[in-house]
Amino acid sequence: MTQLALVIDLNVCVGCSACVTSCKEWNTSSAAGPLCDGNPYGAEPTGTFFNRVQTFEVGTYPATETVHFPKSCMHCEDPPCVPVCPTGASYKRKSDGIVLVDYDKCIGCKYCSWACPYGAREFDEAGKVMKKCTLCVDRIYDKGLPEKERKPACVRACPAGARLFGDVHDPDSEVSQAIREQGGYALMPEWGTQPANHYLPRRKTQLHIHEDELERSDNPLLIDSELPQPGTGEPSLDDVTSW
Amino acid sequence: MTGAASKRFDVSHFYGLVGLGLAVLLAGLGAFHYMEEHGHIVSGMNNQVVWGTPHVFAIFMIVAASGVLNVASIGSVFGKTVYKVRAPLSGLLCLALLGGGLMVLMLDLGRPDRVIVAATHYNFTSVFAWNVFLYSGMFGIVAVYLWTMMERRMKPLSKPAGFAAFIWRLILTTGTGSIFGFLVARQAYGSAILAPMFIVMSFAWGLAVFYIVQSVMYAWNGMELHPSVLRRMKNLLAVFVAGTAYFVAAYHVTNIYFARQTEFEQFILVSGGIYPLLLWLGFGVVGTLVPLLLIFLPGLGTPRAVLFASAGVIIGAFALLYTFIIGGQAFPLQIFPGFEASSSFGDGAVGAYSPSLPEVLLGLGGVAAAFLITTIGVRILHFLPQDDLVQLEAANPAD
Repeated sequence: MTQLALVIDLNVCVGCSACVTSCKEWNTSSAAGPLCDGNPYGAEPTGTFFNRVQTFEVGTYPATETVHFPKSCMHCEDPPCVPVCPTGASYKRKSDGIVLVDYDKCIGCKYCSWACPYGAREFDEAGKVMKKCTLCVDRIYDKGLPEKERKPACVRACPAGARLFGDVHDPDSEVSQAIREQGGYALMPEWGTQPANHYLPRRKTQLHIHEDELERSDNPLLIDSELPQPGTGEPSLDDVTSW
Repeated sequence: MTGAASKRFDVSHFYGLVGLGLAVLLAGLGAFHYMEEHGHIVSGMNNQVVWGTPHVFAIFMIVAASGVLNVASIGSVFGKTVYKVRAPLSGLLCLALLGGGLMVLMLDLGRPDRVIVAATHYNFTSVFAWNVFLYSGMFGIVAVYLWTMMERRMKPLSKPAGFAAFIWRLILTTGTGSIFGFLVARQAYGSAILAPMFIVMSFAWGLAVFYIVQSVMYAWNGMELHPSVLRRMKNLLAVFVAGTAYFVAAYHVTNIYFARQTEFEQFILVSGGIYPLLLWLGFGVVGTLVPLLLIFLPGLGTPRAVLFASAGVIIGAFALLYTFIIGGQAFPLQIFPGFEASSSFGDGAVGAYSPSLPEVLLGLGGVAAAFLITTIGVRILHFLPQDDLVQLEAANPAD
């Protein structure tokens, strides 16, 4: 069975939120939209976002570092938001594993929001139904788009290329290889929800440079001291060559 | 007052009460219309606190509805004659509170216009869908139960109907408690103790509501509660109030014992601002300690003291539910335990919620609906509990 998902490289993500804005832009103007915005320029803006970037500090001061953590629906293989829906509006597609909400069946009881351990459900306060990341389902199958553009908006927007998209059940896919070879992990696996989205961990690049690597052991300057500088009255190279 | 003057006073007061109830109900419906037109964005609810004040009202009324039927059950299932005469009023109050509670619950949905979808598309893996089924079933069963009590030919069926209603109400409150008990994603919930806790809470809250309504009806009709009945009812109320406190304490003490829950308990019991205040002062003092003192202190335990105790129990119930429902949501999801997370969206922060006027009005509208059903119901159906005083005197010569 196909299981489409996102793989996000935390080592590359710089927290620019391009994925957040591109997601909002695509989804507010597509079949899922519009996504409401409350008080967008005020001190406490609210609104519906399918994708958000959390920022958190790791370590204790002064040995700290900042990690940017983009979070959207995990498209869990065993999604806790689906069985709790009283009308069955929340469902998981068998064909590609995307978890979706049927906006026509949703009564807006918000119980799925209680059940999601990742806080990925977003109630559209103006649309009055529950919404969430669709993996841009209206885009990835759009034959009107060139094939290379049939990717979620966030994946296309990421300037650092930190977001990968593909089938995590296909061992040869780019995402499976990334998970396998770069230590990809799921968020809170202890819940048993088997999130399809994965994260590639932060990787420290450490380079040890020894003294002898900075100075050539056969550096003639060490033996002969500095080369003699020609005097200012001496002819220059241009003066003694004929070409 | 002469008989005619008394009757005029009675009629004018009745219509006055109905008018008051209608005004509050209309205000509630107006608030619903306002929120429906503008969306929940005009309420205090947000993406973290998705259930607000209307749910506090709705869940109180639904839980109290199942509890108030307990009075009838003690009569029909356990054969206590003192409670048998109270069974019709108990059934009516059950329907009234259930109606008011469900009204608020439905009108607080994002899409109340799609309530027919909820009634026609059941996903039986959802405890929420069970509750839709349990609530509508409760209406039917209690209506039949009332019918068996009021219709002479149906009297023989009264006991089995009462038994069915008793079983159904236990399942219903289990279902209401399980709405929270089955939730593992948020730290405040996901506990098997919540179902029995809700049942005991329903006993206390339902009896408190019943006592208040009964007191008002007795005062209206110039009657006094027989001391032996008062003694039974106040002792029962005290047992239920203590039982509720026990379950709430057990729930929190168990949580404190789990290392992963201590941060949440610190929030809800100590540092969470309004939530610990409501829990300790609202539920602990006003809803538990004061009612127990009013019932048991020497010199107290009078009908008036028990009336105040019942009011205290109801205030405590609202305080407890506010802390339980809204405080539980306000505590952020622990996605990165041990780390301090932040974002421009308020992730990792305590959710802000303050009740908006439309939400409060909608909740009060539900109470007004229950009030109207009760007021008109008792007037038309003559459900005033009348004790057989001769029998009571014979059974309790000391009183």
